[in-house]
Amino acid sequence: MRSLVARAAIAVVLVTAASLASAHHSFAMFDQAKQVTIVGKVTEVQWTNPHVWVFLDGAPAGGKKGRWGVEFTSKVHLARRNFTTDMIKPGDNVEITVNPYRDGQSGGRFVAVKLASGEYYCDVGQAAQAFCPGGGK
Amino acid sequence: MKTRILVLAAVAATLCAGALMAQQARKTRPVNPANAEKVSYAELDKLPDWRGIWQPNLGRIGGDQPMLIGKYKKRYDEERAKVAANPQYEIPEKSNNCEPPGMPTMMTMPYSLEFVFAPGNIVVNQEAEMMVRRIFTDGRSLPKEGEIDPNYFGYSVGRWEGDTLVVDTVGTRAGQRLGEQGITNSDKLRINERIYLDKDNRNLLHLDFTFTDPEVLAQPWHRNHTFRRDRTWEILEYVCDENNRHPVDAEGQTHAAF
Repeated sequence: MRSLVARAAIAVVLVTAASLASAHHSFAMFDQAKQVTIVGKVTEVQWTNPHVWVFLDGAPAGGKKGRWGVEFTSKVHLARRNFTTDMIKPGDNVEITVNPYRDGQSGGRFVAVKLASGEYYCDVGQAAQAFCPGGGK
Repeated sequence: MKTRILVLAAVAATLCAGALMAQQARKTRPVNPANAEKVSYAELDKLPDWRGIWQPNLGRIGGDQPMLIGKYKKRYDEERAKVAANPQYEIPEKSNNCEPPGMPTMMTMPYSLEFVFAPGNIVVNQEAEMMVRRIFTDGRSLPKEGEIDPNYFGYSVGRWEGDTLVVDTVGTRAGQRLGEQGITNSDKLRINERIYLDKDNRNLLHLDFTFTDPEVLAQPWHRNHTFRRDRTWEILEYVCDENNRHPVDAEGQTHAAF
């Protein structure tokens, strides 16, 4: 009986995925309620830990052209999620959707990309997967 | 000439003192019998199969709520209020984003764990930031207070109770994250872990923590995690300083620097 009472007292704590999903920094700096799509040309790919970075020369719809930095998860996670280095290269024309920085810097956290091949690759999570209705790449 | 002799004597004295200190430090902890020239690995065959790598089930953590006390409760309430007021606010924790969080956070990172069973000890590899932890299973006792210098991962001693590995850890540095952001431990923290395979699903590993810290918690705090097995992948390299674009500023806040 006592163990039943004890078990009933144990609460399952739900923690938001955002507070757990990074080993390196929290996602507080990104506005996860917003999505901005940047259309442009890839200038640099940094295939690195703790995060992969893609830089592009481009602009959001109606915005000014400039250098945008897109932060992906680690190359460890990307490798396990079948995102490979040959999928995005300097010179590629892409459309990348991000959760932008709250402080207004030209950049954000990766959500989804329309690759030069025309295929989509999307981050995990419902909001990102909405860009990959067919499952994406 | 006289000066040279004096310098040599000073150097020799320093070397001797260093050697003596090293010897004394070593004397306080037992030597692992498994370091002997010949040891048997046969005992390891009796241990449960934890092979492969283990990925955490994020988002669902069982257990109970921490009953924080004193300055630790005050800080937690203040930090949570700041987060509520400003979604951009990040609770300051580390001097550098690539500094390893140590124990107990090492066990619950959003990356994979690997357990390497060896005679006399178990090595735990955490993929994130390439953290390594050693659990002595040679029957030694935990060090007493003051016997070891506090460190990131503490000092862990484990024993098998049937197929459950029971680990006690002391000696973690004060001020590391305890359980969640905004809560830190004192140097009195004691971590108990019970790690075991699920009885119905052998590809599910349970890790039940009990945190006891008389300066931080009014009563022991339980937190239960689970991990799923992957036998196909291996641990990958993760060098955090390869491209750390998020340094922490003097206020403990992180900004992208590109």
